Amino acid sequence: MPAAITKEGDQLHIVGADDLPESRKRTGRWLLIAVSAFLVGLFVLQALFRAGATDIGFQNWRPVLYMFVVWGIALGVAQVLMRGELGKRALFVLPAALFVASMVVFPLLFGLTLSFSNWNLSSLEGRSFNGLDNIRQMWGDPFYWNALKNMVYYVVAVSAEYAIAFGLALLLSAEIRARKFFRVVFLLPLMLSPVAVSWMVGKSMMEVRFGPLANLARFLGWEQPAFFSNPEIARATIMIMDAWTFIPFMMIMLLAGLQALPKDILEAAKVDGASAWQTFWRITFPLMLPVSVTALLIRIIFKLKLADIIINVTAGGPGGGTDSVTSFIFREYRDRSNVGYGTLLAMVYLVLIVIFMLVLLNVIGRVMRRQDQGAP
Amino acid sequence: MKTEIYNRLMAMQASRRNVLKGAAAGAAALGATGTLGSLSSAFAQDSLRAQILKIPGVGQGSPGDAEWQKVGELCLGGTKETVQEGEFNGVELTFMGLNNQNLHNFLFRGFLKPWEAYTGATINWIDLAQADYNPRLQQSIATGTVDFDIIEMGAPFEGDTAGKGLLNEMPDWVPGLIDADDLVGYLQAPVGTWDGKPYRITIDGDCHTFAYRTDYFGDGSITGRAEPPTSWEEVNAISKELIGKTDPLTGLPAHGYLDPLKGWGGFGFYFLENRAAAYAKHPDDPAWLFDPDTMKPRVNNPGWVQAIQDVLDLIAAEGSYPADQINADPGTTAFQQFLAGTGSMLMWWGDVGSNARTSDTSVVGDVVGFGINPGANRVYNSQTGAWEETYNEAPNMAYIGWGVYVTNRVEGDSLKRKAAWSAAAHLGGKDLSLWASAYPSGFQPYRNSHFQFDEWEAAGYDRDFIEDYLGSNRDSYNHPNAAIEPRIPGIFQYYSVAEDELAKGYAGQYAGAQETADAIAAAWEKITDQIGRESQIKLYKASLGM
Repeated sequence: MPAAITKEGDQLHIVGADDLPESRKRTGRWLLIAVSAFLVGLFVLQALFRAGATDIGFQNWRPVLYMFVVWGIALGVAQVLMRGELGKRALFVLPAALFVASMVVFPLLFGLTLSFSNWNLSSLEGRSFNGLDNIRQMWGDPFYWNALKNMVYYVVAVSAEYAIAFGLALLLSAEIRARKFFRVVFLLPLMLSPVAVSWMVGKSMMEVRFGPLANLARFLGWEQPAFFSNPEIARATIMIMDAWTFIPFMMIMLLAGLQALPKDILEAAKVDGASAWQTFWRITFPLMLPVSVTALLIRIIFKLKLADIIINVTAGGPGGGTDSVTSFIFREYRDRSNVGYGTLLAMVYLVLIVIFMLVLLNVIGRVMRRQDQGAP
Repeated sequence: MKTEIYNRLMAMQASRRNVLKGAAAGAAALGATGTLGSLSSAFAQDSLRAQILKIPGVGQGSPGDAEWQKVGELCLGGTKETVQEGEFNGVELTFMGLNNQNLHNFLFRGFLKPWEAYTGATINWIDLAQADYNPRLQQSIATGTVDFDIIEMGAPFEGDTAGKGLLNEMPDWVPGLIDADDLVGYLQAPVGTWDGKPYRITIDGDCHTFAYRTDYFGDGSITGRAEPPTSWEEVNAISKELIGKTDPLTGLPAHGYLDPLKGWGGFGFYFLENRAAAYAKHPDDPAWLFDPDTMKPRVNNPGWVQAIQDVLDLIAAEGSYPADQINADPGTTAFQQFLAGTGSMLMWWGDVGSNARTSDTSVVGDVVGFGINPGANRVYNSQTGAWEETYNEAPNMAYIGWGVYVTNRVEGDSLKRKAAWSAAAHLGGKDLSLWASAYPSGFQPYRNSHFQFDEWEAAGYDRDFIEDYLGSNRDSYNHPNAAIEPRIPGIFQYYSVAEDELAKGYAGQYAGAQETADAIAAAWEKITDQIGRESQIKLYKASLGM
């Protein structure tokens, strides 16, 4: 057994530092320095070439990308040369770390660069750094704030979706007839593409003149059943269509949680004479809180990305009444080729989402901790 | 020809055959025999045009690759005049175009196969769906990665391409080869040119025409008017008068003009333009969207404001529009409303006329008529800043149609340049274009020679329909005051943001038409500043031929 590996008990092997010759470490160090310098040099050269400061360079950035791959390999080799067994251990993580860095970090940095740029694809001048202009524009952009306001309504609507989903989950976990059939039926809307829902429900079933839902509404006494004629009704209709698609998602999560509940506690409550409401409110609901929180958080994340139904059915109208941040960014970016401003809006929205989710998680954590402390 | 138009014509042919099959109808059979006789004689003409119109033959089903190749082969005359056999051996070209309805590039492949065989050049293809086209083109331009030598492109993008020096100027030998003088009036220069230089081989034409329900007009009709309206003032008056009346066809509430009040990715703005063109496109001034010297928007001048006010007036007149009109985009007004029997007047491209009888959901096939964009009883003169009390007509050439262009990638290689222009000229040839107009191709007629109705009749088409439908197109195309789309960079950005502001105005979030128009103008100013005012002024003037 190599000296660097110790044995603890029968199973655990702890990799320690090897006693490596200095020349080997030096080789590793120089290899890393040389390849890194070459990578940086190549990057700078290509950047200068693209900026027109030099005539030496490549047609595109591909050689720099290949060099990055070479650098990644050299980094691994250098790790082994410099750190021995510990370096080999690092090799298990390095490829994944480099992959994540190149697929997430670089695009994010590129996105940030774009966010502070004036880049309209139709502009003859191309991209140019414009400091905080995009933020100033966003600050005074009524369409963006209107979309953010709408997002508040949309997110609040998740609470109603949660209540319905919980009710359905309770129903489907009870001993009812054709339980399996209903489980599948209730899941069907989730399997539909929101684009299909937009056309089938929003554009066809709700069509004022011959849509079956419009006819039903007319039968129920609504003289002119226009589902998208004013902002409030249109927003509510969008919420209902979106809820119809995604309630099954929450329902299935909650149903799984319900089925995992310990039966003995529920039986004990029954023996103690607890009513159905007491059993739900004092036992089922608190025990389901972790699952509920997960379902709510995932659903809110989905909701914050709401765009497809809106784009297809109302295009954000009437008068911006149904616009979501994503559908607005879509118009700004795709229809108006306003890449810089559109990217900034997306970045700001990302930051807002992260802050919102952190606050939400914090609040929920506190509530749950308080509940745990209050429990007997 | 658009596929829908062909289908519609085929439906009419089918009904004619049914008449022929009715043996008991002797008189009808005799009449039909006469028609067939004239058909036969037409087909017997030993001319190329008559010959290609027989491929595969009207009523013989939709043509495919074999037919496209055959037509391409027969129309190689121009190529053989200008290119030696095998002259382009080893030349490789890349062609970017659409694959809508399996037409466009699919046809081009067939047409160009004999050209490739004769010249020795090879063509690589980039096929794009319509929705991917604009982003792909814009990204290629913005990132400097133009990877195609020939492109099928709409004239509105000339500002984005020719304006940026990305296109190759048409060589002297091409205009004569394609008989460019035969193009209808509005497709002549300045369309297809930039700074006076020609870049485009036109293969299509586009405009909005007026479709109306014939059963709403005439003696005893519910409008009480003998003729359809010729002005937007009349259109509005009729729309208001119809409130509370019943549609003679469907028995449901009657409605007048169908304005699309919801955006459509920028394309919805064309429909406000239809109204505005009558009020704001002055015959003495080619510009009507911007001031050409400053790029100051004209969209908030009194002419445009009147157009917006007309729409607001109908929104305020409860019942003039169908319920939920605020959520109706142009697709809805055409296909879910007008063709389904809701509403009596509409502006649209040619598809409405062609779908009237062939679409399963259409109920108006026998009661639809066509005309050019209604005019207005007064027109605003931007030069004098005053209204002129005179009748003004200005058909809206919405989108201008497709063309074939050669990019500057061919520069520096004279053989490749000649090959690219030869291929493009083959596609835009006069005879080949007649075939493309008469059969499903995705393109509408666009040459004066396409409106020789005898040729169509001889080929077996129904004369009445051709005269009514194509006549409205021809009259719009050749109108002396046609409102031509400005071919400046980012034109659809202007339209898109205007849709957003109009949506707010229509929803009552602005104080009125003027405030709505001012909001659009302010948004347009921002776009102009972002794209570059000076360059936009230069390009706008160039696009207007100033």
